[in-house]
Amino acid sequence: MTEYLIRRSLQSVLVLFLISILTFAMIHAAPGGPTQVLLAPGLSPEAAKIQAHNLGLDRSVPVQFLSWIGGMLQGDLGHTFKNNIPVGDILWPTVGHTMVLMIAAWLLSLIIAIPWGIYNSTREYGLSDQTSSFISYLGFAMPTFWFGIILQQYFALKRDWLPLSDMYDMDKQGNFGNLLLHLVLPVTVLSLGFLAAYVKYSRSSMLEVLNQDYIRTARAKGLTERKVVFRHALRNALIPIITILGLDLPILVGGAALTERVFNWPGMGRLFVDMAVAREYSVLMSITLVVSVFVVIGNLLADILYAVVDPRVQYGRGGGTAA
Amino acid sequence: MKRKQWISSITVFALIALLIVGCSKGNNTPGPASPSVSPSTSASPSPSDSPSPSPSAQSKDGGTLTISTFSDIVSVNPIFINDTSSGDIEQLVFAKLYDLDRQSNLAVEPWSLAAELPKVSADNKTYTIKLKNTAKWSDGQPITADDVKFTFDTIRTEETGAPGISQYDKIESITKADDYTLDIKLKQVYAPFQFSLYSSILPAHILKDVPLKSLKEDKFGVDPARTVTSGPWMFSEWKQGQYITLNRNPNYWGETKPHIDKIIYKIYADQNTEVQALLKGDTQMTEAVPLMQIDAIKKKDNLQVILKPGPTYEFIQFNFKDENFPDKYSPFKGQKTRQAIAYAVNRQGMVDNVLKGSGGLMNSPFLPGSWADPGAEAVNYEYSADKAKALLAEDGWKPGKDGILVKDGHRFSFELQYNAGNSRREQVSTIIQDNLKDVGIEVKPKGIDFATWIDQNITPGKFPAILLAWSLNNPDPDGESIFSSKYFPPTGQNGGWYVNKKADDLWVKGQQVVDQAERAKIYHELGKELSIDLPYVFLYQYGLPQAYDASKLKWEENDRPESSMGYGYLFHAINWWVE
Repeated sequence: MTEYLIRRSLQSVLVLFLISILTFAMIHAAPGGPTQVLLAPGLSPEAAKIQAHNLGLDRSVPVQFLSWIGGMLQGDLGHTFKNNIPVGDILWPTVGHTMVLMIAAWLLSLIIAIPWGIYNSTREYGLSDQTSSFISYLGFAMPTFWFGIILQQYFALKRDWLPLSDMYDMDKQGNFGNLLLHLVLPVTVLSLGFLAAYVKYSRSSMLEVLNQDYIRTARAKGLTERKVVFRHALRNALIPIITILGLDLPILVGGAALTERVFNWPGMGRLFVDMAVAREYSVLMSITLVVSVFVVIGNLLADILYAVVDPRVQYGRGGGTAA
Repeated sequence: MKRKQWISSITVFALIALLIVGCSKGNNTPGPASPSVSPSTSASPSPSDSPSPSPSAQSKDGGTLTISTFSDIVSVNPIFINDTSSGDIEQLVFAKLYDLDRQSNLAVEPWSLAAELPKVSADNKTYTIKLKNTAKWSDGQPITADDVKFTFDTIRTEETGAPGISQYDKIESITKADDYTLDIKLKQVYAPFQFSLYSSILPAHILKDVPLKSLKEDKFGVDPARTVTSGPWMFSEWKQGQYITLNRNPNYWGETKPHIDKIIYKIYADQNTEVQALLKGDTQMTEAVPLMQIDAIKKKDNLQVILKPGPTYEFIQFNFKDENFPDKYSPFKGQKTRQAIAYAVNRQGMVDNVLKGSGGLMNSPFLPGSWADPGAEAVNYEYSADKAKALLAEDGWKPGKDGILVKDGHRFSFELQYNAGNSRREQVSTIIQDNLKDVGIEVKPKGIDFATWIDQNITPGKFPAILLAWSLNNPDPDGESIFSSKYFPPTGQNGGWYVNKKADDLWVKGQQVVDQAERAKIYHELGKELSIDLPYVFLYQYGLPQAYDASKLKWEENDRPESSMGYGYLFHAINWWVE
């Protein structure tokens, strides 16, 4: 297992390196570089050259990449071109804000979706199943920002029940209760999206397991349905769900730019859009890298959790991945 | 040599930057013609033209005002400001050497650093400036002639990289006569210079040891602790992407003190979110409301919208260079052809249907109502497809097989570029397409990402035709760097490669006459010339509707916002109060 982990981690580093080369190249290939966006338009070409030199923008792209990656390895994410602020100062708070929002939405939807999906799998096409299907379709089909705006209209504008946007009221910065109030609407919007998917997954995964021979055997032994479902079926049904969760992990940091926009949530999704417009390469690269790290970790975690949930899965030299 | 002096254009460009998001804030000149640079200490109220303010109540001190915006600041170091949000904060935290009155004349206000209007020498080259001896920085240090000299010397040094350099590069020398008096000598007579004195001043005692080349990277303007300021409020806190807090400056030196204790400048993701926050009561003022949202705001009793044309004007710019067209032929070279396009485009329809009260027609590059405005001397092209067709025929265009005009084997079809996502330009470009189709011209509107557009089309002057706006931040009408053939890309902003020797000379003449009445004549003639020759089709001026909560935010009639000026939505904010 340890050996496997080491091998996977080394692979991950390589993957991250390749991702960063790719993103760096792509960002620099986009027309309209920082020189146009950042340098004052009234400047003469000579003065613009001086500025570009000061910003290190006159170096070749590979050299810029090496200097960036060199800083990165020492934990220096670089500075913004336009006002020389350390990227970390801007980035890390937004990562935190996004995670607060996304984890709340994610946990809430898991707590509801998995039991619901299981329940539905045992009562196929019942009222509950139909309802969840309806909600799923709604969740998939309805643009989140639109749903967000509707909620804002009813619960924040027509009635003064909930805050409209932001993380805190201006005079209650850092107040936990105030944060909870501000979470209600965006979490509702985001949960609906997650919920739609997770109920479907857990239901179908459960159904598949329930039709297996060993379940029939268990039933034939005379076990109660409850025991059949929870003891025998559930653990097996969780495996594909874990895969999905692992793959979804990066969403927790990448966030939902649109939802953040509607609720004016100061998160990373919003930051990315703003910085893309401003051509702030170092911020964009850092965000991409943070998200990539989570993708890699998410995949790794999913693999490890397989082993925890399913004893048949074993990692090691030559050992293939079962399941 | 110089490129320079595009005072207006610099900011103009900054403006474009704002337009990317579909908005901007205004800047410039209008106001009833005033014959000369007259000292006026406070605005003259003109009762008819503004939403009625709250019935004059007693002003009161204290409270918090929350203003919304949709983009974060970059830095509040005044000499590097190139975006509206940073400019907004500048208005509130920095005192200026001189201010502007409601008619955009240079003025000495109780909050200006200067004690009296500049004295101009007989040869019109030396400006003598006298400062108040009471002004102080927020750290208690006095504001003196050293600070003023330091500021202008810093801006005019190329190494600094200040965007406003062209406003100051006519300076030959700055001499300090005593602590509160200085003489600025120009290399040549340059009338627009008076408005270069409408400027914030840097604290020399904080910045004098910073090498000019690294001034831009300095924490001054970014770190509130280092940003010593001179205005009624201070730059107290900046939460990136969220808000900026400005607390009242306890060391404020002006005879007039601010009423409001704290101003929060809150950043929203976009304009629609801003409007929601205003409706909810989270904010009390927003500088620019999307036209679509105005009705929703008007429905709320406590909210007011100020809807007036502002100092920004939109136009269709033609390119005269053949190589910018697929068939290496610019169809715009005939003056009659350009006039035909002006007739064919329904400008009044755009003003009525797209701008919905926030705009008015433009016939020249000088804003209606300003002293430079040629008024009826400029040609007003009234919508007429018939006149357009006649002019096109006179200029040699004949209908081709598909109904599109042809001349010398060239089909009259061109691409009209604008920045994608700007809904006003999307609508207007479609109207232009329809209108020109009626006279046999094919228009292909094309939305392009803003940064890419600036980089690949506007700056190098490589486009067939564009739909763009200039925002005139500086009250001076000089526009040489936009229109003169001395200012082709990449150094100038005459991206259409327009040549008109008569106009070139008039722009220069306009800079060399200091008397405003005499200057006005030159600009009237220029306006007339350009309205006939049409480097652009001037479309309309427009403003961004400002909305505020009239039950909370109050001002006397004299201190109401002034839509016709740059940053006019914050005009006299020092005298506002909150209930």
